[in-house]
Amino acid sequence: MSGQPAAGAVVELRRFSKWYGDVVAVADLSFELGPGVTGLLGPNGAGKTTTLKAICGLLHPSQGEVLLFGRPIQRDPMLYRAIGVVPDGDRLYPRLTVRSYVRLHADLQGLNDPGAAAERAIAEVDMAPLADRRLKGLSKGERQRTKVAGAIVHQPALLVLDEPMTGMDPGQRARFIELIRLIGAAGVTVLVSSHILGEVERLASQILVMVSGRLAASGDFHAIRDLMADQPRTVMVKADDARRLAAGLIALPSTVAVEVDGDALRARTRSVDSFATALPRLARDQGASLREVRTTDESLEQVFRYLVGRR
Amino acid sequence: MSKSLTLLRFSLGQLLAGRRLIIIAVLVALPLVLPAVFAARADVDPATFTLDLFRQLVLPVLLPVVALTFSTSSLGSELRDGTITNLLLKPIPRPAVLGAKYLAAVLSSLLVLLPAEAVGHVVAARGLGSTQLLGGMLLATTVGALAYCALGVLLSLLMARALLVGLAYALLWEGAVVSVAPSASSLSIRGYTEGVLAAVLKGEGLDLTTRLGPVSATVLAAVVTLAALFLAVRRLERMDIP
Repeated sequence: MSGQPAAGAVVELRRFSKWYGDVVAVADLSFELGPGVTGLLGPNGAGKTTTLKAICGLLHPSQGEVLLFGRPIQRDPMLYRAIGVVPDGDRLYPRLTVRSYVRLHADLQGLNDPGAAAERAIAEVDMAPLADRRLKGLSKGERQRTKVAGAIVHQPALLVLDEPMTGMDPGQRARFIELIRLIGAAGVTVLVSSHILGEVERLASQILVMVSGRLAASGDFHAIRDLMADQPRTVMVKADDARRLAAGLIALPSTVAVEVDGDALRARTRSVDSFATALPRLARDQGASLREVRTTDESLEQVFRYLVGRR
Repeated sequence: MSKSLTLLRFSLGQLLAGRRLIIIAVLVALPLVLPAVFAARADVDPATFTLDLFRQLVLPVLLPVVALTFSTSSLGSELRDGTITNLLLKPIPRPAVLGAKYLAAVLSSLLVLLPAEAVGHVVAARGLGSTQLLGGMLLATTVGALAYCALGVLLSLLMARALLVGLAYALLWEGAVVSVAPSASSLSIRGYTEGVLAAVLKGEGLDLTTRLGPVSATVLAAVVTLAALFLAVRRLERMDIP
């Protein structure tokens, strides 16, 4: 990534608000971003996508200002030369091949050698073996990586990604995280949204936490994570012998409470990591088969609300 | 290749991709060419036959249906499925994006309509026939496509059911309301195209009475087209993209 030198903040939101009728999506949001990777974390419906769309110029602020490189993007479409965006949703042309889709982005950016730029971007996201496949035949993870190739084909100074790892398998996620880290280390300003704490942890050292349309916390990831650790999280487990598993789980020092309901159990834990480490061992020792393990979004939202309460 | 040309070429490809072009071309060509084949065998005046077919089938039905179908899907379908962000998040002013989408809809409509009209005319006349009539029909079709496509693009930016509303305008307003209230033809694209056709055919000896004079028809067609495009550009610049 070549990026582009920028004086001052690359992204600046000044008391940005967005509402639709009586519904407030984002209220009074202010922050500045500079080079490096920043994670935008928050539960579903927190206003992350609205904020990212406003930064990209797709939404007009109801109040306040959104500045990129010190200028409002709505009045200056040429700023898109310096911005790459991976929007939410699919938003792909199913009949195009991977190569023609990325080449379209390169052509519309007016690059000098669009063919070479497209090939480089396709290789960066590991899509070269599938370059001639039509987008409609690809998996969700492959389509996501194609979108990323389209967004980085012009080597932007600002890269905005809305839930970019949706649908990627663990291997693809690891390679993608490495790519984003490299892009951030090269001086590009990267803003990545996610509702998954662990995902953001591996991507970004700086985070912004949004809850109910407001900024709940911002700054160093580890400091904020320590604050979050004060609050227990809920993990849902489905297993063929949930009751026996519950007896083992309640003995863990980090477990606060366990409720059993048929073949499912809800455990409240102060450490999701130690819970995740202990669970497979417990299941194996007790001969129980795990069918589903997930942290609940309500649980994450509860933690975020706790952060809002501390401000 | 410039970014605008890339955009136009891509938009044309999207509109005419797959079997869509063939299906629409056949649906348009059949009702124009088949009757011409029978007319060529019968003892009818080819010019009168072609003009009647043009006024009763092309102007009220085929032209608005084809132009509104292409123009409402050109920008509207990309807005609906979100793919428009691929084009809007680029260093291209939004009016240029709209212009490319509009031109793609006009060119697609003409690509389907003009050859079918020309073939129908040549078959009915068993030769080139009246070149003035052919020229008048092609010009009127072009003027109508320019106006209907501007209307279709504007409607697709304002509402989800743009095609339905556009067809209701063409069939109900232009078909029913104008016939009982002739003054309403000043707000009828079909009225403008008939006025343009009449201007070209003046002195040709064909029976063609129109409610609008040639100058009024031409001026009104230009005003409606430009006004619709102006409003569409304003709307696209100010709207939030979902």
